[in-house]
Amino acid sequence: MSDLEVQAELSDRAARSSQPGRPRRIGAAEGVAGVLALFLVVAAAWPQLLAPGDPLGIDPLSAFQPPTLAHGFGTDESGRDIYTRILHGTQYSLLIGAAATAIGLGLGIVLGTLAGMLGRVVDFTVNRFLEVLFAFPGLLLALLIIVIYGPGVVTATIAVGLSTAPGYARIIRAQLISVRSTAFVEAATVLGRTRWQILLRHILPNTLAPLFVLATLGIGQAIVWAATLSYLGLGAEPPTAEWGAMLSAGRTYITSAWWMSFFPGLFIVLTIVTATVLGRSIDRRMRHA
Amino acid sequence: MRHPARTHRLLAATTGIVALGLLVAGCTPTGSNEPIGEPQDGGTLTYASGDAEPSCLDPHVGGNFPQALVSAQYLESLVSRDDAGQIIPWLAESWTPSGDALTWDFTLRDDVTFTDGTVFDAAAVQANIAHLQDPTTLSSTGYLALGKVASVEAVSPTVVRFTLSEPDSALLESLSQPWLAMESPTALERSQDENCASPVGTGPFIVESWVKQNAITLVRNDDYTSPPADAAHDGPAYLDEVIWRFIPDSASRYAALQSGEVDVIDNAQPDTIVQAEQSDSIDHLDSPRPGAANRIELNSGQAPFDDVRVREAFIRTANVDDAVSSLFQGTATRSYSALSSVEATAVSNAAVFDYDPAAAAELLDDAGWNETDADGYRVKDGVRLSVEFPVSTNQSIPAEQSVFEQIQATAKETGFEVKLAPLDLSSWYAALASNDYDAVSAPYTKVGPDVLRILYHSDSIVPAPSGYFANLAQVSDPEIDALLTTAARTTDADERRDLYTDAQNRILEGFYLLPLYDQQNHYLLRGDVVGLRTLPTVAVPTLYDAWLNR
Repeated sequence: MSDLEVQAELSDRAARSSQPGRPRRIGAAEGVAGVLALFLVVAAAWPQLLAPGDPLGIDPLSAFQPPTLAHGFGTDESGRDIYTRILHGTQYSLLIGAAATAIGLGLGIVLGTLAGMLGRVVDFTVNRFLEVLFAFPGLLLALLIIVIYGPGVVTATIAVGLSTAPGYARIIRAQLISVRSTAFVEAATVLGRTRWQILLRHILPNTLAPLFVLATLGIGQAIVWAATLSYLGLGAEPPTAEWGAMLSAGRTYITSAWWMSFFPGLFIVLTIVTATVLGRSIDRRMRHA
Repeated sequence: MRHPARTHRLLAATTGIVALGLLVAGCTPTGSNEPIGEPQDGGTLTYASGDAEPSCLDPHVGGNFPQALVSAQYLESLVSRDDAGQIIPWLAESWTPSGDALTWDFTLRDDVTFTDGTVFDAAAVQANIAHLQDPTTLSSTGYLALGKVASVEAVSPTVVRFTLSEPDSALLESLSQPWLAMESPTALERSQDENCASPVGTGPFIVESWVKQNAITLVRNDDYTSPPADAAHDGPAYLDEVIWRFIPDSASRYAALQSGEVDVIDNAQPDTIVQAEQSDSIDHLDSPRPGAANRIELNSGQAPFDDVRVREAFIRTANVDDAVSSLFQGTATRSYSALSSVEATAVSNAAVFDYDPAAAAELLDDAGWNETDADGYRVKDGVRLSVEFPVSTNQSIPAEQSVFEQIQATAKETGFEVKLAPLDLSSWYAALASNDYDAVSAPYTKVGPDVLRILYHSDSIVPAPSGYFANLAQVSDPEIDALLTTAARTTDADERRDLYTDAQNRILEGFYLLPLYDQQNHYLLRGDVVGLRTLPTVAVPTLYDAWLNR
């Protein structure tokens, strides 16, 4: 390894991960968010552990019961236990959120890398394409996809993923361009590394770290959009225990049974706040570390 | 019938919450319990419909309930029906059938003109029937109702003669419906698009404008002369203007009524009806629709419901009673009949519809559906026992969709997989037209028991020009056909009733349908809307006698 090569390697590492500084204390908000995140993950993975009932099991004679000891969050119009339904619904929301973000991010990485790496013609083409997509509000794009391919959980996930892709692509492209002009990349170029070697070894690792933060925040966003689509009747179909669908069903009875819409709404809010707090916390740690 | 809101004010006073009581009274300046004086002229009434916005305001085209709701304000029929079910004069003053019941002479009023100035006469009636029977009109309801009308001729300007291909005991009932209302022949000559946007009739209001996805504006017909025989007053309507809006979301619709943004709403949800009954400022008008009960039809034309045992099993596994009592909170009564409870000839047979999962399981075993897959559904020859159930979200209030969900849940216990698919109206029609359903709930409103012929005669499996076929259970039973055909020809009232009784028993015992309740038709109105009633024909509201006590 030549001196120059070593230098390139070192400054790359320095940019990517730095020495352990003073351990930052975990704030109250972060602690609560961490506990909530754990709870949500457990609820998504093993709902039976926290809510042993059947989320679809009806009991017409105990319909519209306000929150009591027997039904902590009350019951809905068919006597289904809302607590059970919410916990069993966690997996839809988290799964849709994670899958949609993965789709959006994956597509964003491909488009962003193409634009950032393959010269001006490709950059111009990809950018104009992204601008066309940006012209539509993200949700409208998702609605368009659902109109074409029909409602359902899978379509909703793909729709949300595709609609978030342009945002990610643009951030990745900007990040890529700024990393490309750093000293260690120039050093690697001088050393005669091929374009793809530089991309894989130096640029992408330095580009993707900040994306982790974006993705955490993005999951929250994707969950809201998925719930929005279900609320509009375009995502999960009744009687699926999905938060947006439950919120929509509760809206009908909002004047007489507030708990039917309050608790699903509360969980949507809590999940997004959790994702946001965690995302920001990770972001701060990476910047200040 | 109308239920005046109850008064709790006295109770409030005696318990010492006088201040609160006054506050409530202050918020509702004109409650229904204020003394009602003479009808006042003028004002604008805003009506908010929960039904789908029609794609055409001419009810000849297609012919569904949303069209009937609005067109009853500007179109009128030859005859009407009173509260007792008797046919009464409207645009026709009198009628006489011939001895063989094959020719009917209608004597028309001679003082009526359409709102475009065209005279209402025998030629106008002739043009209207021709319009309904013209396949290019794409009429469904009116077309089916006129199936036996061979020709119509103008004997004189005020006498029109209907010649039938065979006796039709339902002719007057058919003609009383808003889907067979009379429109100006001059207006009918315009293109269908034009006529759909602004149909011209003889009614108390005139279609002034229609902003799609928003509202229809109706203005008073100042030259109005032709109220039906059971109207409360003569001359023009009291209201200056009617704004006919569409608010599909039931919670928003009720909120708009509470805030006074609208004055009347239809398709009220059970929980809001219960609330309104306890309120001073909102009144409730309950008016079940005639014709068929609200029911789930089982498609006997294809597997799995081509097997009577599977149909019976499905019916036995549906716990409708509990669903209705929990979801409708006393605002609907369980039906055990194919016909609405307002039909005098309705046959009710609760025993056919007993909830009995054990019997259902046995029936499925007998029918060969005796294996169970990993999800708990029954299987026969590698095929899962699935029931495709498209649901028209425009025609079912949320409480009704929840009834379907509960049926889905109870049917699952016996091994049926019910696939509910909530669809908008046009996708729903498309699913039916392509025979892509096993169970479906399709409201059908017609005056009189002849609705049975439309719903269960094998002829109705053949689509009308609009593409819609009404025999969604696809009942094809020569005996039922014979009974219904004979009944439709029989003019003797007792004999007719006996025939319809036999036909209904055979239909019910064939397990073709699962009745739920009467077609719910609840209106909520602000306490200061006075005189609103529904036409006893198909229970649509008429704003002719309505006025604002403000």
